[in-house]
Amino acid sequence: MNELKTGSRILMIGIGNNGRSDDALGWKFVDEFSNLEDLFDIEHRYQLQIEDALLITEYKKVIFVDASHKEYENGFSFYKCTPARTEAFTTHKLEPETVLWLANDLFNQSPEVYVMAICGVNWELHQGLTDTAQKNFESAVSFFMGWLNKETFRFSTQ
Amino acid sequence: MKKKITIDPVTRVEGHGRVTIHLDEYGKVEDSFFHIVEFRGFERFIQGHPYWEAPVLVQRLCGICPVSHHLAAAKAIDQLVGVDPEDLSPAAFKLRKLMHYGQIFQSHALHFFYLASPDLLFGVDAPVEKRNVFAVAIENKELAKKGILMRKFGQEIIQAIAGKKIHGVAAVPGGMHKTMDQKERDYFLNGKDIPNINTMIEWSQEIIEFIKSYHEKNRNLMDTFAAFPSGHLGMVDDLGNMELYHGKLRAIDSEGIITLPDVSTDDYQKYFLEGVERWSYMKFPYLKEVGREKGWNRVGPLARVNICNAIPTPLAEKERQAFIAFTGKKVNNSTLYSHWARLIEILHCAEMMRDLLHDDEIMSSDLVREGKPRLEGIGIIEAPRGTLTHHYQVDEKGMITRCNLIVSTTHNNEAMNHAVRWVANNVISQKGTITDGMLNQVEVAIRAYDPCLSCATQALGQMPLRVELINHKGELIDERIKNG
Repeated sequence: MNELKTGSRILMIGIGNNGRSDDALGWKFVDEFSNLEDLFDIEHRYQLQIEDALLITEYKKVIFVDASHKEYENGFSFYKCTPARTEAFTTHKLEPETVLWLANDLFNQSPEVYVMAICGVNWELHQGLTDTAQKNFESAVSFFMGWLNKETFRFSTQ
Repeated sequence: MKKKITIDPVTRVEGHGRVTIHLDEYGKVEDSFFHIVEFRGFERFIQGHPYWEAPVLVQRLCGICPVSHHLAAAKAIDQLVGVDPEDLSPAAFKLRKLMHYGQIFQSHALHFFYLASPDLLFGVDAPVEKRNVFAVAIENKELAKKGILMRKFGQEIIQAIAGKKIHGVAAVPGGMHKTMDQKERDYFLNGKDIPNINTMIEWSQEIIEFIKSYHEKNRNLMDTFAAFPSGHLGMVDDLGNMELYHGKLRAIDSEGIITLPDVSTDDYQKYFLEGVERWSYMKFPYLKEVGREKGWNRVGPLARVNICNAIPTPLAEKERQAFIAFTGKKVNNSTLYSHWARLIEILHCAEMMRDLLHDDEIMSSDLVREGKPRLEGIGIIEAPRGTLTHHYQVDEKGMITRCNLIVSTTHNNEAMNHAVRWVANNVISQKGTITDGMLNQVEVAIRAYDPCLSCATQALGQMPLRVELINHKGELIDERIKNG
């Protein structure tokens, strides 16, 4: 990969809608780290779009954060994203895997991409998380801080 | 046996709908409907809110065309503070226009490159695995890349003015919130960070050559597919030329006879009524004078190119001349020509953005005007998909008491139903079986209008596509569902 003008900063993209209760999880999570400007570039999305495929090529590491309908044991799931074509998608709503696939195919770039999916339970019009989502959010943040410490250590020793 | 085929939702349109095609016992199409079934009612939701919240709230109708709603609402709110469009400061007027052209440019680019081009590149009856952006990316990498970069350019124009690509705050009552600075302007002009505005113009011309080439090879399809007579509605300036931000409303019938003679947007209520049908939440606007049966109009790129005397930028006007030459300057009533017209508008928007970016007034700090408050405001613009109306009434405290939205897709409601009916009659009727390719042609007919169904019903949330087959007794005998 060529030298990137974004340096070693990580791109964090929060996906969701803060007007729809737990759908705010993605935005709230990235906002939690917005003061770490040397480490992260932060973006907010209602939904991923095709131009995000170009955006992620400017980074070595990208983290998508979204609320999830699924139930995970710890209230969240953090996993490495692999590129994938999704036939059923519409172009006004892409999955992280699809965005990565387009970045690979169109721009020959393969950033390291992770997905943080945090469980929510309510998606109706409402400002603020449910108690369940708030608890899951805190667990996800706590886990991510640990992951980040390890990553920062890995960077500093490379 | 009578059958009913339902396509629900329609993929690759913004938002989703449902199509039902009713067959009789011989497999012949008896009737067809394009249903819009979701409804949440933004018009009611906004009542009781202070008027100054409207431009920010209503843009949440849509994640694809929020700028259009923002600007239409802003024009209406300007009037509530006593500022008519001609009273805006030159800087505010030009910044709004620049943002508007950026919005139409990116929206049209998204539609053409990622929604419509799979149909054109691989055929309207191509297998489902071909009808998506992946196939475009694999077989036409340069086209896919340019599509992304053109959309990015328009999005970044919006971001530079509004602070955000989606749901930013640009317009305020009587003007604009911020100006552009030299650095922001240079970003779009110097080509150091992104392909510049001149490149956007070149690529817009290239893509018009693509559709011309497609037209040469597929003229019969373009001429005949979902072709039907209709009225056409849009906005023109004082010279009768294409105008997308502020002008007068003009409508013509399928033969080009004027049915709405360049009237003030403030008077729209004198000329339009909205019909309702029990099978759709989307309303059916029509011209009072002409009546419900024949007074409906298409809106959007094809209508705008049909109604205008000229396009006020030279390259787009040259392309309009080439476009109208194919019909001998008669009104074009063929649905698939919408794609070509949309590309002409992409070029027009690029030219307008170039001119505005070179205008020093967009960096002026003279941004807001004041006037004598009123109790009613009407804002009409030409959104990417067509004529968009926002109309508000407020009480003495400035709280909204009534809101009426007529969105572009609502105007196209009747046209989309006609397009579906054409496909049902010409492609599906009496064929015995319903193939995936046939069903896609129904979607192709709808997609040409680039409908935004979430806007049209002011829905919030997911609106999925389903295909049902129902016999003459009303029994469901087959069903297909596509994810949104």
